[in-house]
Amino acid sequence: MTNGERSYFDPLVLARLSNLYLRARWVVEGIMSGIHRSRSKGFSVEFEEHREYSPGDEIRRIDWKALGKFDRYFIKEYEDETNLRAYLILDTSASMNYASNGITKFEYGCILTASLAYLILKQQDAAGLVTFSDRIESFIPPRARRGYLMEILRAIERRAPSGETNLGKILLEVAGKMKRRGLVILVSDLLDEPEEILKGLRLFRFKGNDVVVFHLLDAAELDLPFDGNVLFEDMEAANLKVTADPQAIRKIYRKVVEEFIDHLRKECRENSMDYQLLSTSTPLDHALVSYLGWRG
Amino acid sequence: MSLFFLHPLYLYGLIATSIPFLIHLLNRRRVKRIRFPAVRFILLSQRRISRTYRLRHWLLLALRSLAVLLLVLLLAHPIFQTGVGLFAGGGSLSLVIVVDNSLSMKWSRAGEGFKQAKEAARLLISSLKDGDRVALVPTNRSERGEIRLRGEREVLLKELDGIRISAGTADFSSALGKAYELLREPAAQKEIWLMTDMALTDWDRFSIASLGQHDPLIPLKIIKIGHQGEVLNATIKEVKTQGHGVGVGMPVQLQAWIVNFSDKEIKDLPVQLNIDDQAREQKLLSLPPRGESEVSFLFNLAQPGEHNGYIMLKKDGLAGNPTSYFTLQAEEKLKILIVDGDPQTSLVQSETFFLTRALNPAGERGASLFLPTVIISEGLGSVSLDSYQALLFCNVPVIPDAFLPRLRNYLQKGGGLLLFLGERIQMDDYNTKLFQSSPSILPARIREKRNLSEAAGEKIEGADTAHPALQGFADEILKESLRSARVQGYFRTDAISGSTLLSLTNGDPLLLEKKLGPGRALLFTTAADRDWSDLPLKTAYLPLIQSLVSHLSGGQRGKMDAGITVGEGKVFSFPPSYVGKSVRIIKPDRKEREITFAPNGGKASASFQENDLAGIYRLVPAPGEAQGTAQIYPANSPFLESRLETIAERELKAKLDPIRAEILPLESLEKGGKRSDLSLPLLLLLIATLASEGWLAQRF
Repeated sequence: MTNGERSYFDPLVLARLSNLYLRARWVVEGIMSGIHRSRSKGFSVEFEEHREYSPGDEIRRIDWKALGKFDRYFIKEYEDETNLRAYLILDTSASMNYASNGITKFEYGCILTASLAYLILKQQDAAGLVTFSDRIESFIPPRARRGYLMEILRAIERRAPSGETNLGKILLEVAGKMKRRGLVILVSDLLDEPEEILKGLRLFRFKGNDVVVFHLLDAAELDLPFDGNVLFEDMEAANLKVTADPQAIRKIYRKVVEEFIDHLRKECRENSMDYQLLSTSTPLDHALVSYLGWRG
Repeated sequence: MSLFFLHPLYLYGLIATSIPFLIHLLNRRRVKRIRFPAVRFILLSQRRISRTYRLRHWLLLALRSLAVLLLVLLLAHPIFQTGVGLFAGGGSLSLVIVVDNSLSMKWSRAGEGFKQAKEAARLLISSLKDGDRVALVPTNRSERGEIRLRGEREVLLKELDGIRISAGTADFSSALGKAYELLREPAAQKEIWLMTDMALTDWDRFSIASLGQHDPLIPLKIIKIGHQGEVLNATIKEVKTQGHGVGVGMPVQLQAWIVNFSDKEIKDLPVQLNIDDQAREQKLLSLPPRGESEVSFLFNLAQPGEHNGYIMLKKDGLAGNPTSYFTLQAEEKLKILIVDGDPQTSLVQSETFFLTRALNPAGERGASLFLPTVIISEGLGSVSLDSYQALLFCNVPVIPDAFLPRLRNYLQKGGGLLLFLGERIQMDDYNTKLFQSSPSILPARIREKRNLSEAAGEKIEGADTAHPALQGFADEILKESLRSARVQGYFRTDAISGSTLLSLTNGDPLLLEKKLGPGRALLFTTAADRDWSDLPLKTAYLPLIQSLVSHLSGGQRGKMDAGITVGEGKVFSFPPSYVGKSVRIIKPDRKEREITFAPNGGKASASFQENDLAGIYRLVPAPGEAQGTAQIYPANSPFLESRLETIAERELKAKLDPIRAEILPLESLEKGGKRSDLSLPLLLLLIATLASEGWLAQRF
């Protein structure tokens, strides 16, 4: 990838675009131009198997070609007869409002979510949006119709990060609201109890959903690059404060964060969920390519 | 075993050991506030790290402080010493050895203390390195030579040999002051060593305030010589004569008080009196523990003039000054001519009976300083007045005309006249010849005679005790005795202010004085016998008559002089003719010094300060100078210098505060010592500390 292409997906460059639609289009069109040859690869409903006709089956589902070959009536069976239903779940809690390099996790998550919605809807699939903090802030059920993208983007733009994260509870609630199975894409910093989070994610899987987790973290959250004596005040829990010497605890801190990430990654893998750790300094094409990789 | 620092001022830098802690505290106060989403991870990290982190943190702080501490100690240059010895570190040494050569050192360590102190000083001088310099300062200096720091060992050893035990009390203020003055010169290392028996009497005189400018950082090492075992310790506290004056042929009673400083009784202590280097008498004395006893000697002096003497305790093994010197000024007997104007066949009824008894109480010719001769008025024509120091007229009716010029001449040459009046005197004759004629001899005109009844007699009220002749009457007993006398008959005279020595209760003068050049005349307005008063029966009569006659004779009555204390100055006051002239002073060790007289308040005066030996000092005219009377005076060691009690170490250190004094026994110096420079081990330790600190800091 050239330098120019890198800046093309640079979150800071994208953040300068005021319009979220433009940001999403910028990202998606950029990626699409890069993977043009695979564009026709199926987002449509796919054939799964044949079975013999039995009375009651719809006549229009008879495979007439198979009748010609085998002189028997076969019915075409499809994996899903409908379009892909993607639920984009965006974390809008206060902790997402953190930025050490100019772009907050929330801004990054918004662009990512918008880009994914753009991409999904462009493929004629249905995209919906859930935003949450300690409760569900907005719930837009998946639709595949034209103009639905703008509705989703407006919903994202209306949100400002606030409130505490209660991800485990939210995921359970969203799972309850989902009428049909589909693709669940979670964009969050996952700063909650990991077991609660995993409990919610496992419920999605149990209901037959595919799950993709985009774990957003700021570079400072990964490295703790501060010096001197620091009073750390939690962005969500006002009472949670701690004075520490970052230099003294940096090594252990990194280990703690790494263990947290590894635990989530391992659990996701074991539950056939796709987990992607994204630093806010990571270009957005990485996130989308990772998504497409999942789709591919 | 001790630790000391060559540059102790750097030790103030120990305050800097707190710097790491202060930085730590300041950093704790200076806290940045950051809003952060992943505080839960920080909490988790802290929980995991806290114990080991804190341990390391405090370890790091301790290492940093230790590094500062080591650096400060390194700069202060510590020396570790075992035993006692001179400084062995780098740089040249300036050393002042103060040697206590006060008299008490003579008896320290059974007489060996001073020798051992000098041996210790010799040891120090011998252990000097090239470049080191030493000065020897005795506490009692006899020589006036310059004291300075020098490096030549041979010269120093010779100087040391020349230090002798003095007869006086140690002057530590002066000696230590000199030591600090010498050490003002720059040197890498400075030390003062003081060899002393720590005698309480010597140190009692010392105070840090009297020391003047001093540097408390210069180490002061005190080598304690001390006193060993229980010794008999006695000395002569005081010597004085009893009675009035010292005259040729008259018995002199000398009393001496001997004090025992030891806890044991001293039995049969021989006390010997020596006059003019000849033993006169020896007595045995017993002294109670910590007590004193008196011994007295009675002797006669055959020759007039000055005599030297001493009292000596003659017992072997006795600690303490055994000798006390004194001088005796023996006067020839004063010849007194008494003219009896009313002679009687009965001696008791004689006008002069009480007078002669007052001048010669024992009645023997040799027992009194006064030698009275009684004549009648008619004998005045043939007597030679120049043979008498004083002339006493008692109720003489008239003054013979031929006698008057001789009397005037006698008075002009310094003679003394005491006139007693009485029933027989012719007032007009006296007034005409002795008052109205010029120059007048009477202090005042004689007016009318007063005769009172015995009961109505006047008392003697006023006495001019400031007058040299009546100074003894400041004593209450004598004063009371004088007041108890009654005067019934007397001649009134004019009251002359400043001339009246005694007066009656009604204010009339009883005794008046008139100076006539070097001579003087006294007028008693009553009679010498008890016809007109009962004064001759009073206790005060004898001292009054002796005192007046002595005054008329020029005041010289002979005396004993116990002298000055060794170390004190002696001031001489001579007639003005001595101004610019010199006299020699021969010290007890026969060495001679010369002093020159300078004008001082109408007289010639000179002082002599070098009274550093106990004994007799002689003042003789310098060759070629005007001859004068030879004079002698004694100097004695202070009797407390014989007291061998020592000052407690704690008390001595308190006296010397803020000087850093270390008190060491003599043996510790004899055994020698070793000093180790701790700089290198400290440097290595500092490097190791810094390396550990660096390694530990990296681990955070």
